[in-house]
Amino acid sequence: MTDSPLRRGIGWWRLPVLGVALLTSLLFYVPFLVVVATSWTETSFIIFPPQGFSATWYSDVLLDPEWMDAFKVSLRVSAAGTVISVVLGTLGALALTRLRSRAARRWVRTLFIVPMAIPPVAYAVGLYSVNLEVAALGDNLALLILGEALLAMPYVFVMVSSGLSQADPALRPAASTLGASWPLIVWRIDLPMIAGHMLAGAVFAFAVIFDEVVLSVFLAPVGVKTLPLQMLNASQEALSPQLTAASTLVSMLAVLLLGAFSLYSNRRTARARRRARKATTA
Amino acid sequence: MTIALSIQDVHVTLGHNEVLKGVSLDAAPGEFVTLLGASGSGKTTLLNVIAGLQHVHRGHVLFDGQSVERRPPRKRKVGVVFQSYALFPRMSVGENVAFPLRAAGRPKAERRRIAQEMLDLVDLGGMADRTTDSLSGGQQQRVALARALAANPGILLLDEPMAALDKQLRERMQVEIKRIQQRVGITTLSVTHDQAEAMTMSDRVAIMHHGRLIQVDTPEQLYRRPVNEYVASFLGEANLFPADGQGPLGSGMTDRATGTAVIRPEDLVVLDPRQGADRWHVRGVVSLLSFQGSRFRLELATPGGQTVVCSLPPHTDVSLLLPGSEATLGCAEPRHVHIIDTTEAGRLVELAA
Repeated sequence: MTDSPLRRGIGWWRLPVLGVALLTSLLFYVPFLVVVATSWTETSFIIFPPQGFSATWYSDVLLDPEWMDAFKVSLRVSAAGTVISVVLGTLGALALTRLRSRAARRWVRTLFIVPMAIPPVAYAVGLYSVNLEVAALGDNLALLILGEALLAMPYVFVMVSSGLSQADPALRPAASTLGASWPLIVWRIDLPMIAGHMLAGAVFAFAVIFDEVVLSVFLAPVGVKTLPLQMLNASQEALSPQLTAASTLVSMLAVLLLGAFSLYSNRRTARARRRARKATTA
Repeated sequence: MTIALSIQDVHVTLGHNEVLKGVSLDAAPGEFVTLLGASGSGKTTLLNVIAGLQHVHRGHVLFDGQSVERRPPRKRKVGVVFQSYALFPRMSVGENVAFPLRAAGRPKAERRRIAQEMLDLVDLGGMADRTTDSLSGGQQQRVALARALAANPGILLLDEPMAALDKQLRERMQVEIKRIQQRVGITTLSVTHDQAEAMTMSDRVAIMHHGRLIQVDTPEQLYRRPVNEYVASFLGEANLFPADGQGPLGSGMTDRATGTAVIRPEDLVVLDPRQGADRWHVRGVVSLLSFQGSRFRLELATPGGQTVVCSLPPHTDVSLLLPGSEATLGCAEPRHVHIIDTTEAGRLVELAA
């Protein structure tokens, strides 16, 4: 502590800086901890501080077919939406690298990213009117999945684009002078290079879709609910601790998933770093 | 399967910028030609034109007499070593070298055999299973060379091959690449802005300036008989004096045509001030004297404001040549002085502008 980089860097300023950091992290996690705490209350409504301790609400949620159905619907929608958004986003990012004109590249990039800023309600209403027009889309999840995929695609696009922009621009010309056709270039050069970024984009897309509620409100078929929709309903009807128990479970799942992912990517970078170190000593 | 290359009056315009303004160049099978020029002279663009990575607006590129302008890069059978080497990440060294063979659809056993041969050729026989980022810069360069040669191309193109290497390695690799090129016997076109590299490696050097080739010749001819002042001062150091009959070279030196005289630093000698009067000489104040191992380098500031560079043998007695002292330089071998014909050079400079 006597000679930490922080102390050398900013001297006694580190106290307020650390204070702000602490407050920020509290702001992040205290609401979540409150939610977790309320989920083990013995009362039939959400209350803080919780009274008593029981796992009733957890078993309640896990055994309630309505909650479990909603969870399954969400998984299905998120999985399908993620696949679509990863495919489209990756194709978009790859196409961008093949545009010669810089102005066109800038425009396409903007057009791909702007949807992030469009309110989901706008999408929802637009797609809802499509839903009314096309009878075939009436009673299934197709339109919801498509809408969610469109919402998530910019995230994949940004991730994959950043991966591609780190690559040596000479790789593709090199491959083509070596006789490679474009499918071979995509398959052997591009995809292996961006696989990690595609995975990261997929994780993001999945999280975005899994949490998204506005489109579900408009586009879910009658009687079908996604998990966020179910939560929304639960919060509007009775403020049952089922809601907080479900939130806690979902958060746990997210933490596990993201934790596993960052563990995996940390290992990858560590491996790359080890290789690079070996190269410099060789 | 080496080819003869012929470039005929190639024009390339990028945006509003005419990068190549009518370039013509021929290379015989197995010849090593270097494009030498400052950055922005269009030499890399010309390389890309040959590789098919750059569209030609006018003119022709012929491989063995066949026009290839419409042929895409992957069908041209060129081997390119890029400045960054462009080794494929996520592929081992062996896979990189075998990549052109995979692209050509050769069977696996053959791919492995040829890749091994190529790695042996560049002295990296045991490295096939290594990852590319575990190699040093010089090794990466040799992998790129092996990969470029693996599919038996007709012509080898090197884009600033030494740019990413440190100086010592650079000199070793120049010799090494030249050796491999001669062994394979492949027509090679290299691009560089390093004149030492150009002179070490090439059979002929093409000096490029503002999108045009100024002079294409052997290194020796370029050095001894530059066609204009640009070439004279770009390739090695040159002292330029007017040779118009009244200047310092007016008398006793030459009776050839008027123009500019090129005197190389090593052709100048220090004269005893008393004996200089009847010969051609130039007087000035020593502004710099430095010992560079194999030579002394002497810079002289003349009263006219010109800096004259002189290179002296390493065992010269330099006690009288300290900075600030006066010195007189003369020409050791008047026969070695090259006169650039003003009329002809003037025309070339005009073209280049």
